[in-house]
Amino acid sequence: MGSNVGKTLFVAFALCLVCSVLVSSTAVSLKDKQAQNAVLDMKKNVLSAAGLLNADTDVNEVFSKFTTVLVNLETGEIVDDMDAQTYNQREAQKKPNLSVAIPADADLAGLSRRAKFGKVFVYKDEAGQPQIYIFHITSKGLWSTMYGFMALGADLNTVKGFGYYAQGETPGLGGEVDNPKWKGQWVGKSVFNEDEVVALKLAKGTAPTEGKVAEYRVDGLSGATITANGVSSSIKYWFSDHGYGKFIDMVESGEVTI
Amino acid sequence: MKIKELVFDPILKNNPIALQILGVCSALAVTVQLKNVVVMCVAVTLVIALANMSVSIIRNHIPGSIRIIVQMTIIASLVIIAEQFLKAFLFDQWKTMAVYVGLIITNCIVMGRTEAFALKNGPVASFFDGIGNGLGYSFILLFVGFFRELFGSGKVFGYTVFELSKDGGWYEANGLALLPPSAFFLIGLIIWILRTKDPSQVEPQA
Amino acid sequence: MKFLRDFLDSKEHLFHKGGKLEKMYPLYEAIDTFAYTPADVTAGQTHVRDGIDLKRTMITVAMALFPVIIWTLYNTGYQANAVLASTGAEAEGWRASVMAMLNLAHDPANIASNMVYGFLWFFPVFLVTQIAGGTVELIFSVIRKHEINEGFLVTGILYPLILPPTIPLWQVALGIIFGVLVGKEIYGGTGKNIFNPALTARAFLFFAYPAQISGDAVWTAVDGYTGATALGQAAAGGLDAVTYSWSELFFGLVPGSMGETSTLACLLGAVYLIATGIGSWTIMLSVVIGMIVTSMGLNLIGSETNFMFNIPWYYHFVMGGFAFAFVFMATDPVSASMTTKGKWFYGFGIGVMGIVVRCINPAFPEGWMLAILFMNAMGPLIDYFVINSNIKRRMARNG
Repeated sequence: MGSNVGKTLFVAFALCLVCSVLVSSTAVSLKDKQAQNAVLDMKKNVLSAAGLLNADTDVNEVFSKFTTVLVNLETGEIVDDMDAQTYNQREAQKKPNLSVAIPADADLAGLSRRAKFGKVFVYKDEAGQPQIYIFHITSKGLWSTMYGFMALGADLNTVKGFGYYAQGETPGLGGEVDNPKWKGQWVGKSVFNEDEVVALKLAKGTAPTEGKVAEYRVDGLSGATITANGVSSSIKYWFSDHGYGKFIDMVESGEVTI
Repeated sequence: MKIKELVFDPILKNNPIALQILGVCSALAVTVQLKNVVVMCVAVTLVIALANMSVSIIRNHIPGSIRIIVQMTIIASLVIIAEQFLKAFLFDQWKTMAVYVGLIITNCIVMGRTEAFALKNGPVASFFDGIGNGLGYSFILLFVGFFRELFGSGKVFGYTVFELSKDGGWYEANGLALLPPSAFFLIGLIIWILRTKDPSQVEPQA
Repeated sequence: MKFLRDFLDSKEHLFHKGGKLEKMYPLYEAIDTFAYTPADVTAGQTHVRDGIDLKRTMITVAMALFPVIIWTLYNTGYQANAVLASTGAEAEGWRASVMAMLNLAHDPANIASNMVYGFLWFFPVFLVTQIAGGTVELIFSVIRKHEINEGFLVTGILYPLILPPTIPLWQVALGIIFGVLVGKEIYGGTGKNIFNPALTARAFLFFAYPAQISGDAVWTAVDGYTGATALGQAAAGGLDAVTYSWSELFFGLVPGSMGETSTLACLLGAVYLIATGIGSWTIMLSVVIGMIVTSMGLNLIGSETNFMFNIPWYYHFVMGGFAFAFVFMATDPVSASMTTKGKWFYGFGIGVMGIVVRCINPAFPEGWMLAILFMNAMGPLIDYFVINSNIKRRMARNG
């Protein structure tokens, strides 16, 4: 029996040694490449929301014109003592030290927690003037939490582009949030009305093409009321004072410059 | 057994999914797009073949008491390596398949082959048995993936075949094909066809 | 009529073994036995419990559906005409041309106009169902060398009744082909299926083409018009948001799936089914009990965010497809449980599941289709337990 136990232990040990060397050497040698991929993927998502992504776009080159800032959503001020590049807002939402609970009456988007800091991508033209601001927004849909980006123009009101990069809604109904035609409707709409209140949302059925509310309405999603409510509430929540509202006010009043 | 039989028998005669009903989980999960199917098939085939071969090489030294855990360790290591490679070189596919790559570990075909074949046969035969079972798995997945992508998005390998009505074409996308349960219907149909052609695959009535 | 008999007899040899049209025997047999009593009748001593056969069962169900069909024609036309009259929109397409040819105005007060316009919407759906489903049935009876039976007759009437009037005809065909194939033929044909083929067909359409079978735009046969069903309104704003009165819902003067709107018509069918002994009153009653118990339970729990929790059971009774489901769908003898005790469990399960899906799951506005399919799958299992417990009890008594 003694030799058997010894052999068993030896085989187990040798096997573990060989396997762990193989696994760790692969993981270490491929790590850089994987990190690059993850960053590139994030950049692609941002660009495609802003409508700047074409088949032949050099992602890194276009993205180099973006400045990334971290915003303290509580105050609207820019956070300097953290690395904006590596901050992941989606992950932060789940971490206790980087997120805060949303009071139930303000929790329009059904998130229960949100990240303390918002990551905002700012596209600057040659003169260094901000032209596009891209905001990370999330909300609960029917089945899933939907993650996307909203791109606003220099006036911080006109929509430049909108899209989700992760969602798990019903294909054909709620899943139509990925339909390029539908996403195209967002361009040119306004988020805030004259009273500086968030007015942009999905219409019930087809959006009106003229009239007072036309610039604040996008076609509803037929047969997907819950997903559509999720989309509307994500805008309402994230551009209110609980979201990016304070930051936007401060940029407009000149208290914050990028 | 001849290598030819080892490689080709599992495709129609002794298919791991259609006859042994193994590995169905991933067949439901990754078959929405053919692109993912191909990546998954290559990964699974390589993992089975290499796991089979590795187990077979050391089969005479594996103590019976830790047999299963040894196989698990080898398979798990191979799967992690495969996942690391996908993450590095095929990031988009890895992203859409996410957990299902890691779940190759639990794919019953891999464990089934190492346990049933590799422990009793030489490394070369085991390697080809792995390739054969991987091909059998791939055959079903490609079939399912082809119809799901065609009916669900009007495309084959991402190329538009039927112009979708929401893009101005004539084809109304079939939402059921985009949902995992549709793979059950398709696998059921293949099994029906296979067993009609070859009645010896039908289980005897109790 | 002797002419027809002679004609059939003179051609019969063609369809027998070795005849030219041997393969088409099922078709010949169907025509022959539809018109005349079958030549093969039982001789000698048999264990007949009842003189009824499949053909008569199915025809009785078809008869029970008569009030529903009449109401389908009237209400489908009425809903469309009412919208046309109130919005002033023009009806378009071939149906409008037929109406003009018949000199019928789109007037919701005109019963004939409603009936004809409803017919023009319902009949194409019905016809496509019969042709597409019948073809699958015929192909299988030829391959499997058995007669065409009346199983499809009932499926082919039930299925168009649970569709919205605006459903595209190609989807109707695709749905029924799937329903007959996957819901019935793969299990071996009529009498061997575990799922209700009509519901299988509808479930296929529901998941494959949700835009054409759910939402607000499909329930009224007027192009581009959106009007929510009572259920849709209730889900969005509770009972206060429902613009139809209880009696309107009971009589069925509301938009919805073509044959599902009228609770009254379904109850008339139920009376006929129970009187003739074809439909199981056990199942019907237990579905209703299950529904009432579950919805009262939800009333007790209450909810501020989900309005469906507060809908009283007598509204659940008349809204959506409940009446049609418990009278005609749950009682399908093939896919239901067989044992008497099993029927109680089976029906109760449907009642509970239906309300749970209807009220708690936001993705599905209506629950009966899914509830019945789910309990179809459970049916044999319930029977198994009932039979086993009987065996155990007897063993204890006699062993």
